Amino acid sequence: MDGLLGALGLLLTPWPFFLALLGTALGIIVGAIPGLTGAMLIALTLPLTFYMQPVHAVILLVSMYVGSISGGLITATLLRMPGTPASVMTTFDGYPMARAGRPGRALGLGIGASFVGGMISWVALLLLAKPLSIIATRFGPFEYFTLILMAMVLIASVSQGSLVKGLISGFLGMLVSMPGVDPSTGAPRLTWDYYMLNSGLKLLPVLIGVFAVSQIMADIIDLNRKTERVEMSGRGLLMSLRDWKDQAFNLIRSSVIGTWVGILPGVGASIGSVLAYTVAKNMSKTPQKFGRGSEEGIVASEAANNATVGGALIPLIAMGIPGSVIDAILIGALMIHSIQPGPTLFLTNADVVWAMIAACLVSTVLMFVLMTCTVGYISRLMYLPRAMMLPVIMVFCVVGTYALDNTMFDVWVMLGFGVLGFMLERAKMPLGPFVIGFVLAPLAEAKLRSGLMMTAGSLEPMFTRPLPVLFLLIALALLVWPLYSDWKRNRTVDDTVE
Amino acid sequence: MPDGSNPRVDIGVCLFLIVICCALLVEAAKLPPGSFEPLGSAPIPRATAGLIIFLCLLVVGRAALVMWRGQASAAEAPYPPRRLDAAVLFGLTVLYVLLMAQRVAGFAPITALFLFVAIAFLTRFAPRSLPVAALIGVIMGWGCQYVFTQVFVVDLPAG
Repeated sequence: MDGLLGALGLLLTPWPFFLALLGTALGIIVGAIPGLTGAMLIALTLPLTFYMQPVHAVILLVSMYVGSISGGLITATLLRMPGTPASVMTTFDGYPMARAGRPGRALGLGIGASFVGGMISWVALLLLAKPLSIIATRFGPFEYFTLILMAMVLIASVSQGSLVKGLISGFLGMLVSMPGVDPSTGAPRLTWDYYMLNSGLKLLPVLIGVFAVSQIMADIIDLNRKTERVEMSGRGLLMSLRDWKDQAFNLIRSSVIGTWVGILPGVGASIGSVLAYTVAKNMSKTPQKFGRGSEEGIVASEAANNATVGGALIPLIAMGIPGSVIDAILIGALMIHSIQPGPTLFLTNADVVWAMIAACLVSTVLMFVLMTCTVGYISRLMYLPRAMMLPVIMVFCVVGTYALDNTMFDVWVMLGFGVLGFMLERAKMPLGPFVIGFVLAPLAEAKLRSGLMMTAGSLEPMFTRPLPVLFLLIALALLVWPLYSDWKRNRTVDDTVE
Repeated sequence: MPDGSNPRVDIGVCLFLIVICCALLVEAAKLPPGSFEPLGSAPIPRATAGLIIFLCLLVVGRAALVMWRGQASAAEAPYPPRRLDAAVLFGLTVLYVLLMAQRVAGFAPITALFLFVAIAFLTRFAPRSLPVAALIGVIMGWGCQYVFTQVFVVDLPAG
């Protein structure tokens, strides 16, 4: 508790507080501008954090994370276009309510739910991160390897699109992380004798390429897209006491769902909000209202997507395994600051961990205040001409990547991965597994090889120890279940046709 | 395709990935076996590339089947997509980076020029947007140069 109080004390000093405020505000703004995402913002901000203390960098990045998940609500409600993928479910009820003349009410419910979701998941983060990290310190290499394997399969199986494409994306991310000096032998591999590849492909150019450059290109293709818009009005922006009472159960249930979904490695806010929305609809007394401006629908979606933030930070802090794509970028940020994520983080860099937890709390409060006070102004940013904004972002991509090492090689890598990311998106191959595979593969390989060295090349412990067996069985079930569901669905369709 | 993708795109992307994986497999074949540790450097890249090739072949097979059955339905966008514009902006970016890499001029003037041309192109050279594009170019070019070199102490490409 001392660590948390110390971090909160630090956060309330001028510079860290300013960083939290700036991060939350930028996150909300980026979340509110269609086509820009939190992952893009955080990847582009990473180069600027090289010059900060790790604690300050973490405060800025976590605040951006919280802000960006919340900001998507504004466009989802006023434009019927989710500002971030996490707000897709909010469009179903937020926009109809706004069109019915109650945009303030829709936004107010969303902001209140986001706040509660964030707070409940923060409590889970506070209570679970440390005990889980203590358990994880007892993991041997095979436990770790099978856990990562399970996480990879889970990410691929719950990503949008087909399981096979999710797996391709994840394996591709793993493969891309392999060129460079082999950490176990010290010899270069897959470098084609090109010296620039000896240090491998760096995380930042790959991330900026895959998330920012590919998104810019996709946004340009969509420049002619016309949006239906609703003018903002601030009436009903604050939830009344009765609203809180009516929605209390829905708020808590959706936040708990969001938190648990967040804890699952690689499963992001979108899945959390879909799941909470579906549960809310199934348990509602008025399910017919869902999709037509249901208050319960907005609350469920927004509480859950914000709750995934705290939930997703739990595996990151406790085990060094990203709970979402943005967490994978945060892991990259820690590595850039020479901090090794993993179960020993509480021991080696307790100040950074507590700063992360405290920033999650403070930015949730700041998000609530900022969104409530400035949503009218922020909503105007949605109409910024994208034709002018996108080239400017491209310049930031180039400068940010170049600033990493003052080398143009990184910029070419970024552009190359921009094209690759764009191609994967066109083929509906999700980018989440790619990035998480890229971040986790070196760890998985290191654990497997050190395990094999300990057992003189025997894989036996993987099939005899309880935890590796459990993780492998879960991975197998996750692989087989979607295939079985597909087969069953196809059979039903065939039977119906006959 | 069940996930809404275009089977032709699926086939193209998967074939591209197969080519990349084959190149990596050839490179991995040159790696020596492990001497003091059981696994060595090559098996994991080989296995990963092999799995990608196998999965890509599955996608290609499925996409080919969809095309053969004539089930491919190209979902029309409700607005005209600007694919060529995306390609042109990417080309302009490559040119922008190339000019900086060749040190034809410093960061600020090249950035200003890139932004002016890119914004003017994306706004279809609308007369009203040209002064704004020029202003954004100048502010971003010299502004970024000042912020990055003076505040963040980063060396930017010089002419």
